[in-house]
Amino acid sequence: MPEVLRQFRSLFVSLKLTIVLLALSIVLIFWATLDQVHLGVWAVQQRFFHSFIVFARAGELRIPVFPGGYTIGGLLLVNLLAAQAYRFRAGWGKTGVWITHAGLILLLVGQLVSGLVQRDFQMSLDVGETKNYSESDRRNELAIIDATDPELDGVVAIPESFLARGAVVQSPALPFRVVPGEYYPNSTLQMRSQAPGAPPTPATQGMGTQIAATPLEVTYRENERNMPTSFVELAGPGGSLGTWMVSPLLGMPQKFEYAGRKWKIVMRPERRYQPFSITLEKFSHDIYPGTDIPRNFSSKVRLNLPDGAAPREVLIYMNNPLRYAGLTYYQQSFANNDRTSILEVVRNPSWLIPYIACSAIALGLVVQFMTHLVAFAGKRRAR
Amino acid sequence: MASRALPSAIAAAALLVAACGEEKVSVYKVPKERDPVLAQAGAGQQAPGSPMAGAAVPTAAGSALVWEAPAAWKPKEASAVRKGSYSVPAGGLESDLSVTAFPGDVGGELANVNRWRGQVGLSPLRPEELEPSVSRMEANGLNFTVVELSPAADPAGSSILGAIVPYGGSTWFFKLMGPGAAVRAATPAFMDFLHTVRAP
Repeated sequence: MPEVLRQFRSLFVSLKLTIVLLALSIVLIFWATLDQVHLGVWAVQQRFFHSFIVFARAGELRIPVFPGGYTIGGLLLVNLLAAQAYRFRAGWGKTGVWITHAGLILLLVGQLVSGLVQRDFQMSLDVGETKNYSESDRRNELAIIDATDPELDGVVAIPESFLARGAVVQSPALPFRVVPGEYYPNSTLQMRSQAPGAPPTPATQGMGTQIAATPLEVTYRENERNMPTSFVELAGPGGSLGTWMVSPLLGMPQKFEYAGRKWKIVMRPERRYQPFSITLEKFSHDIYPGTDIPRNFSSKVRLNLPDGAAPREVLIYMNNPLRYAGLTYYQQSFANNDRTSILEVVRNPSWLIPYIACSAIALGLVVQFMTHLVAFAGKRRAR
Repeated sequence: MASRALPSAIAAAALLVAACGEEKVSVYKVPKERDPVLAQAGAGQQAPGSPMAGAAVPTAAGSALVWEAPAAWKPKEASAVRKGSYSVPAGGLESDLSVTAFPGDVGGELANVNRWRGQVGLSPLRPEELEPSVSRMEANGLNFTVVELSPAADPAGSSILGAIVPYGGSTWFFKLMGPGAAVRAATPAFMDFLHTVRAP
């Protein structure tokens, strides 16, 4: 084996690397915990753990300063796999150690997978309301809706990131191009009549002509949401149709007609549709008698299944979520004087992995202990 | 071969990871849904940062109030929200008069007075503080609740002189808003104007 490869091998199988990586992860977690004060938990996860490198800002420059969660976790995984392969010896004596290590590997892989595929959404339901979609509490989308058909809406949903980077969208479902213009990641709106000094608006169509948008600093707080505003030009083959202001703050779609069809344009929280719907039948907010201290929040919902299957009644409350079709609905919050229930909707296909991994680790430790115990007892009896 | 296979595998894995985060334009059809109805009428006058809707506000239907505006007031283009809109010159300054109407009581007097107070930077009133801070008058069979809101702390800031009038199951709002001095100078003309408001 060439010398270089040998060095690589001894680096990756070494226990020193494990110790260094564990030390780095302690520093990373400590630093992230402190930074949570400024950034909030969501941004901290993105910056420190769901990243390969942690960057620091010096003015406009982004300088790499520390390995991120993916790098440390990935190297730990490689280290563990390499050590396993290198030190593997056939025989029953180490079975428990192998099972424990397999559990650890599964735990690391599971974290990586859930970091990549887990998506959190919300479903906000008024009593009696039915919805077949959930909405992101962080991300928005520009929806351009062909509302000509009396039964069905044809939707073209463009992620906010396209507006942010000014990417022109040409979809076969649209008779015009979507050309994003100015974009504010967080903003506030005011009627122009109340903001006489506001600069002229790029909007030439819809409500935006009467409204002034002011950019605000981007917020990372957990209980705040960025409210973007963007100006979007629609350009047909015959020229521009005009420029619309779009923002979730506008609250409702703007309508226009083009090419003999009725259209709506709206920026709204990103939606994910499901092939089933949920109706909120009752929301209960129980308190301890004589106090305002909440005892229990629960939502009684009806799960309306497709293909004429009988609907299911489900009670969702703390630690008793509804799991259906790969989605988990947790009771998250409520609003509107107890008339609106807010469910957190989590899609995480790998949610079982940590349970399996921890069980494997526990099993491995028990097996290893028992192996030693039996061997020890056997030796004693022999004496 | 093995020395080439490793970098290729790493590159492929990196691409796969990058592809997971990629966002795409999606196209789909859904059953028609109703547009959201405004939770709170009086849009276009809301505090900054709150959900706002412009054109398609459910304004009051039914018969409308009529009025006579002084010749010096310059009519502005009415919108879907504004039943009437004027630029009111007084003392060399200008303020803005809007006339709007919404179905029902729009949350009641207190909520609306507090909404206006918020627009000029005043803190909300408690229910028991409402009565001493409004004046009531009757003209042409209509009951006017008149409020004068000018932040004492900031004489250069905006002031509001407003009147709330229930009529025919709706609530009408006459709101004069502008720099404090402009609103003060236009106050007599505004009060005279209120006396011309009547049912058709």
